[in-house]
Amino acid sequence: MMDEDTSNSVRRMSTRTRRVAPKMVAALASNDNRTQAVLARLEALENDNPGLETVQVNDDSDASLDDDDEQVFQKKQSKSTKRKTRQAKALENAKKAPRTFHELLHEANLESLPRHVPTYLRAAVGPPSSVARRHFCTVCGFSSNYTCVRCGTRFCSTRCQNIHNDTRCLKFVA
Amino acid sequence: MTVIVLDNGGGQIKAGIGGDRDPLTIIPNCTARPISSKKPLIGPSLLSPLTDLTSATLRRPIDRGYLINPDLQSTIWAHLFSTLHVTPSLSSLLLTEPLFNLPSAQRSFDELVFEEFGFRRLYVANAAELVHLYEASRKPYGVVSKRECSLVVDCGFSFTHCVPVFQNFVVNYGVKRMDLGGKALSNYLKELISYRSVNVMDESFLVDHVKEKLCFVSLDVQRDLIVARKRGYDNIFKCTYVLPDGVTYTKGFVKDPAEADRYLTLYDGATGRHTEEMETDQQEHEEKHENKNKIDLTKNEFSLTNERFLVPEMIFRPADLGMNQAGLAECIVRAVNSCHPYLQPVLYESIILTGGSTLFPRFAERLERELRPLVPDNYQVKISTQEDPILGVWRGGSLLASSPDFETMCVTKAEYEELGSFRCRKRFFH
Repeated sequence: MMDEDTSNSVRRMSTRTRRVAPKMVAALASNDNRTQAVLARLEALENDNPGLETVQVNDDSDASLDDDDEQVFQKKQSKSTKRKTRQAKALENAKKAPRTFHELLHEANLESLPRHVPTYLRAAVGPPSSVARRHFCTVCGFSSNYTCVRCGTRFCSTRCQNIHNDTRCLKFVA
Repeated sequence: MTVIVLDNGGGQIKAGIGGDRDPLTIIPNCTARPISSKKPLIGPSLLSPLTDLTSATLRRPIDRGYLINPDLQSTIWAHLFSTLHVTPSLSSLLLTEPLFNLPSAQRSFDELVFEEFGFRRLYVANAAELVHLYEASRKPYGVVSKRECSLVVDCGFSFTHCVPVFQNFVVNYGVKRMDLGGKALSNYLKELISYRSVNVMDESFLVDHVKEKLCFVSLDVQRDLIVARKRGYDNIFKCTYVLPDGVTYTKGFVKDPAEADRYLTLYDGATGRHTEEMETDQQEHEEKHENKNKIDLTKNEFSLTNERFLVPEMIFRPADLGMNQAGLAECIVRAVNSCHPYLQPVLYESIILTGGSTLFPRFAERLERELRPLVPDNYQVKISTQEDPILGVWRGGSLLASSPDFETMCVTKAEYEELGSFRCRKRFFH
């Protein structure tokens, strides 16, 4: 039988060496990192292009200008008449680059407002009243009774455990 | 003077002329660049069946409901206004904004509206008030219009809001938000399909379609999980979806629509229909099924079972996903409890569901089952759905735009130029 993951730290680990970088082992053992992984996963749910590794930010600013060549030409002309320092250019670029939601939220500094003012942060529902959480097998989706001792994800049977070990164990990024 | 009503959602833009019943266009609020081209596609071309959006890179101006990329939004709007044949400098604009919009996003919206497009007037509304207005006008003798208050549950693309509305104004200290909407659900489904059958991590449009066609809300998750475990024909949740192959089909589709609807028999058909009929039905089906069981190698397909109801389930229990947030029913209770006690019974009696994510079959039924035990016995719970949850906000806006004193409520361009963004915003009470 598998133990609950709370007893995980007390458990004696086998001496078998695992093919995981030592840093990673230390990171995975702490409960905190598991929550970090969960948060990263939730963050990924809001991502538009999860399949892609890199998102090129300045990619389409050129493409959108292709629409009307005249405008581009005019802009180029006006740019050439003014001389800009490198610093000014950098500042302008920084202004232009789209910022993430978290940056904007941080910038709005909503924490500084008095308590009675309803804001984005205070409108969040907050934690559920019942702590009981249903667990579903990450492999097949049915209710799961067991937890992986290494990474804390859930599975329901030996079959699913094997699939989990082969594919997803310790790979927090899906 | 024409008034353009623009419901600028995170997922779709609904745009049209004030006073009309339906918007002129509904386009996705994003640009998509297919791998084969360099130029991103905008607007209606995204929806036409001929465009191949396989592995397209998406960019959205709105993240988590709030505007983060004004440049991209301006590109999309410019395209939109040119297809609608409207001249902004000759018209007014009614724009919807999320609740508690960030000051920087408000400023960028004002800049877009007045400086970039040069609209004459602007009115900024929020979704909940418009929905309330529309529902009140539709049933002049209903609870919503008589008591002038309602609880609008807006389960949209970016997030879900429970908003108490009193005398046409949002009770802003009562608003509660869950950070879970259609986008997160789609991405969750995407993750599940990609892990279990085919990698569809890049196919946002495809997964959206799968979600709309196949997902439903379960009324009893434990029982449905047992049913979903069954093999063969007994498993009434199993449904196959065919992926586009790029030659004969450019869009994916549900293989057998009858198979997709079989889950309905579990709830209402099983007792109502004659057993004999069922048996013959079953025999026929089994014959058919044998043919279908042969794997068609010419097609790329995957089948879904428990994913069909476990995905929308997350709206009711976000904790299952690892989110530290209460479910929808509790969200409603908290929103109501933060209002004045006199308002509470009335709010429970006038819950209005709106937003695209409420379109899952049996959403309202499940919500009522979850909500009832949480509400005091002597209060009534009444959940009403809109006739079209996606267009509800737009129709409310259209109604407001056609009201005689609309123009006096707006901020004009001259006022904006004199007072600036911040002062003008004071007028809209948010």
